[in-house]
Amino acid sequence: MRRYCVLALAAVAAAGLGGCYETATPKMYEPGVYKGSQDSLGNKLDNEELDQQLSERFRTAAQDR
Amino acid sequence: MARMKFLCDAERCIECNACVTACKNENEVPWGVNRRRVITLNDGEPGEKSISVACMHCTDAPCAAVCPVDCFYTTTDGLVLHDKDLCIGCGYCFYACPFGAPQFPEETAFGVRGKMDKCTFCAGGPLEDNSNAEYEKYGANRIAQGKLPACAEMCATKALLAGDGDLVADIYRKRVMQRSGRPQTWGWQKAYGAGVS
Repeated sequence: MRRYCVLALAAVAAAGLGGCYETATPKMYEPGVYKGSQDSLGNKLDNEELDQQLSERFRTAAQDR
Repeated sequence: MARMKFLCDAERCIECNACVTACKNENEVPWGVNRRRVITLNDGEPGEKSISVACMHCTDAPCAAVCPVDCFYTTTDGLVLHDKDLCIGCGYCFYACPFGAPQFPEETAFGVRGKMDKCTFCAGGPLEDNSNAEYEKYGANRIAQGKLPACAEMCATKALLAGDGDLVADIYRKRVMQRSGRPQTWGWQKAYGAGVS
């Protein structure tokens, strides 16, 4: 009888300890890589039209009249 | 794709501080923060030179290299911008920057400095373009509107040039040839490497 009690107690203890186990999945960050939100301007700058507009504006604004 | 650069022609800068005012006005920069400033070398002596200094949007930005939270990013045309939601105000970027560009809005107990603020080349930040949130946090986004930085557009003597590096270099080269002097591309080598463009 006593043996059964010890075995049951051991089983309960094992189940209890097993329940406390937590799977740790640490977040790994690559150093030197931007972590913030994306800038929508990044896509706009690929726009050829905007590029032309900025160049034209520069020519108008920076050249001596 | 253009590679945006700043260049201040020291022969033309008359220390009027219009660029500083234009920047403050355009971006509603708080008191104590100067995204741009005019520095005079050998002030009061014959041959003194003035230059307008702000973030030069370096090719290999040292601020980004030292940032412990990696809040800096470089746009496709070379603008070095940052995410204020990530910034912890540690000040490492300030120590790394050769131009003293990073600014901190607060100076309170325990060294709290607030989120870093710097010149954005009038390109805002990582929020919706030309939204109120972007304006409040980063200032104006003139680039998205097809305009160049207010400081350079406001410059009366056209000393401060901002735009595609090749175009800036072309104009400056012509000026140097006209006045037959030596080129003094102040800060260019440090910011963009050994080449002129």
